[in-house]
Amino acid sequence: MRSLQREPGLLLALLAVIVLVCVFILYPQIRVIITPGTGYIDFLSGGTWIRSTSQSIQVMVLSTTTAVLLGFVFAYAMVYTDMPWKPFFRLIGILPLLSPPFVVAASYLILFGPRGLITYGIFGQTISVFGLGGIWGVQTIAFFPFAYQLIADVLSRSDARLEQAARNLGAGPWQVFRSVTLPLSRPGLGAAILTTAIYVLEDFGNPALIGGTFTVLPTQAYGLISGFGDLPGATAVSTLLLALALILYVAKIRLDGGRSFITVSGRASSMPRPPVPVVLTWACFVACLLLAVVILTVYGTLLVSALTLNFPNNLSFTTKHFEYITSDVNGTALQNTLIFGVVAAAFSAVFALVAGWLVERGSWPGRRVLDFLLIMPAAIPGLFFGIGYATAFNEAWLDWLDRGVLIIISMIFWNIPVGYQAAVAGLRQIDRTMDEAATSLGASSLRGFRDVLIPMLGGSISVGFVTTFVRAVTTLSVVIFLFTSGTTVATIRIFQLVNDLNWGRATAFTVADIGMAILALGGIALLSRGRIALGAARA
Amino acid sequence: MPSPSALQSLDAGAVHLRLAHVTKRFGDTAAVDDISFDVPRGSFATLLGPSGCGKTTTLRMIAGFYDPDAGDIVLGGRRINELPAHRRGTAMVFQDYALFPHMTVRGNVSYGLRLAKVAKDELARRVNETLDFVGLGKLGDRWPNQLSGGQQQRVAVARALVLRPEILLLDEPLSNLDAKLRVQLRWELRTLQQQLKMTFVYVTHDQDEALSLSDWIAVMNAGKVEQHGAPWEIYYRPKTAFLADFVGAVNLVPGTVREVRGGQATVQFGERSVTVPVPADTSLREGGEVKLCVRPEALGLAPRGATTDGAALPGTVARKAFLGDLMRYWVTIDGREWIVDQPDPGASTPLDGEVLVQVRPERVHVIAG
Repeated sequence: MRSLQREPGLLLALLAVIVLVCVFILYPQIRVIITPGTGYIDFLSGGTWIRSTSQSIQVMVLSTTTAVLLGFVFAYAMVYTDMPWKPFFRLIGILPLLSPPFVVAASYLILFGPRGLITYGIFGQTISVFGLGGIWGVQTIAFFPFAYQLIADVLSRSDARLEQAARNLGAGPWQVFRSVTLPLSRPGLGAAILTTAIYVLEDFGNPALIGGTFTVLPTQAYGLISGFGDLPGATAVSTLLLALALILYVAKIRLDGGRSFITVSGRASSMPRPPVPVVLTWACFVACLLLAVVILTVYGTLLVSALTLNFPNNLSFTTKHFEYITSDVNGTALQNTLIFGVVAAAFSAVFALVAGWLVERGSWPGRRVLDFLLIMPAAIPGLFFGIGYATAFNEAWLDWLDRGVLIIISMIFWNIPVGYQAAVAGLRQIDRTMDEAATSLGASSLRGFRDVLIPMLGGSISVGFVTTFVRAVTTLSVVIFLFTSGTTVATIRIFQLVNDLNWGRATAFTVADIGMAILALGGIALLSRGRIALGAARA
Repeated sequence: MPSPSALQSLDAGAVHLRLAHVTKRFGDTAAVDDISFDVPRGSFATLLGPSGCGKTTTLRMIAGFYDPDAGDIVLGGRRINELPAHRRGTAMVFQDYALFPHMTVRGNVSYGLRLAKVAKDELARRVNETLDFVGLGKLGDRWPNQLSGGQQQRVAVARALVLRPEILLLDEPLSNLDAKLRVQLRWELRTLQQQLKMTFVYVTHDQDEALSLSDWIAVMNAGKVEQHGAPWEIYYRPKTAFLADFVGAVNLVPGTVREVRGGQATVQFGERSVTVPVPADTSLREGGEVKLCVRPEALGLAPRGATTDGAALPGTVARKAFLGDLMRYWVTIDGREWIVDQPDPGASTPLDGEVLVQVRPERVHVIAG
């Protein structure tokens, strides 16, 4: 507190952060929640929410269960066994994080849809693939890599020394896992499951493409606005969605203290883990191989479709889909995607860094509140966030504001938790005596931050930047209520083209979009000379 | 506002740093509880105490990293409570050195000068001078992770010294080094301080370090200063049993005052009694409970039947340990174990069984209460 009085620069920075958080995180949410007003009564008595809510929960439970199970197998195999081809599997696990989750649905439709390669092309069937079963399968494939990243993170933090100690005391591999590893990582695993559940609950793209009449909360909210222009109804549904996500999120916070980052001592990880039985290793290898085949089929289908005239009926090579997506409004969309992503990621990284520093290193009252507000967007469904911006900033007096700028701002603040948590985790690894050393040599807090902490935080800043970029270029739900024809982006165009069943163009767009994410991640990994593990891109 | 008493009678020439009734609370516990002391200018002053005693908190208040809840901190005649940490001129050497890993040795050492916007030529001259001074003249372009622990420690000292700070603060700077290097760097620090005639405030939990380095020691316990003064005073004339025990091995024997006469007191312990000098600032009354405090090396040991000067207490050797430079005996006298150190154990055969412990009354210190 006194340090704030003594350093006006610090006070200004803090006030700026508070104002921005209130305007761009808190205010839009409040606007959505109050928009229905008395409409809540109509909405609740209308009863349509009961079906979509129960279906949302149903599909969330199913998809989360299977995604977590597959993710766990993958994570266990990667962390505990010395199976071959690990670098390959690591890449397989990252690929889905670099793409919009709903492209899995697109690939699924190409393969299993009414005119799908496998269903119709091979078996001559036109079975219905829409509805619960389809969503379940697609979300399992789309989200198991997320579950894998989260669980692998938890498992790799379990202290190898404790496991060695248990082996030394006479426990077998299975006993070690059951009596040491699992109990110690239970909170982390619980948090990983809840986080996966939030991803599934918020998923808009997949249910929108293959849900058919099976409505979940995000698709209901979208349908109410796009079909009926019913803003009160849509905001009420969104509020319900937010409430569910917040319940999961609060439970997650109780398990992992609000962040999945814990400072790890380098020593713990440098110790080899006790070996697992050979049979288990090979069983894991086969399981991972099968999952890799599925993932490669999903993305391979997209790639082949993008490069052929009319997949799967005409497999002649063509570049016309790519010519299409780089021309006119589509070229603009790609350009927008890149610009919005870069600008949002840069601002988000800088803002998150300053905010993380103020909260982590500060000692002023109310920092817990600011901390909560900064990690809260992680619990806000993208669709809710988008509706929030559309509601809050769709005002006549804001007409001068470019829609592109609004999209960028929404991407900045929706992604704040990513950069913020990376910054906080980075700062926690830097001992406070570093700040104090700078201070005792004559540096003010801000000066020490600039000269000492920022250079040491290089890794965290890059992680925040690249993750935000990837999330910005792969989000559909945040921008779906914000885009205009001049400010459309790749994910929107993919969604539109899939709905038009224009597979070649849709998949070409997808390939370009994923390509951007891969280039960003690869570029940063190169720049940091391998100091950032590729897996650091987890959302 | 500074309380008048803090500035009163402050002779800026003699007293360099004054803490007056300084208190620091963390929650409900007072980490530092109303402490006051003066550090003489140009002295090597040490805050000594067990972990959690408040010594580091005190140092950090002097540095400005914590704000005291009460009391005044006066440096060079100026109250510095409100002065931000980075303007205090209290450069600090940290326990883990806190070298900036992204700067070279030269970058680290010049950092403070760059902040102070010292001109290029002078900056280069002072950095080189200081690096030579601490014996790192050739290592200026190395990175911190390329240095040994001792070298890192020297860089940390150089980084602080180059600023010519008003006062140098050192927070257990030797505790991360191995035993041999610790002793070597101890002398280097002491020599450095005497050459520069600068005031050092040094924090440690190691009593050997404190005794060998310091001109002045304040022993802290549970947020209070138990005693301060010259190392010799602290060691031989401790005011409390805690102090006596903390600063080296000691025999503390409870007793009762039987007679006080002419600066001498007769103290009964068990069936025996001894007449010892009364310490200058201690008042003893007859019938009062006291503790007799005798350092093991102040006792002598002889075989039963030998002629001795002073009092001789018959006892039995319970066990002994060969410590190289001395043989330590635990001798049971009237059911209580006494520690007796015999120097130069190679000069005689070790004793065993029945022995006599020689006590010279003038080497016995009395602690009241």
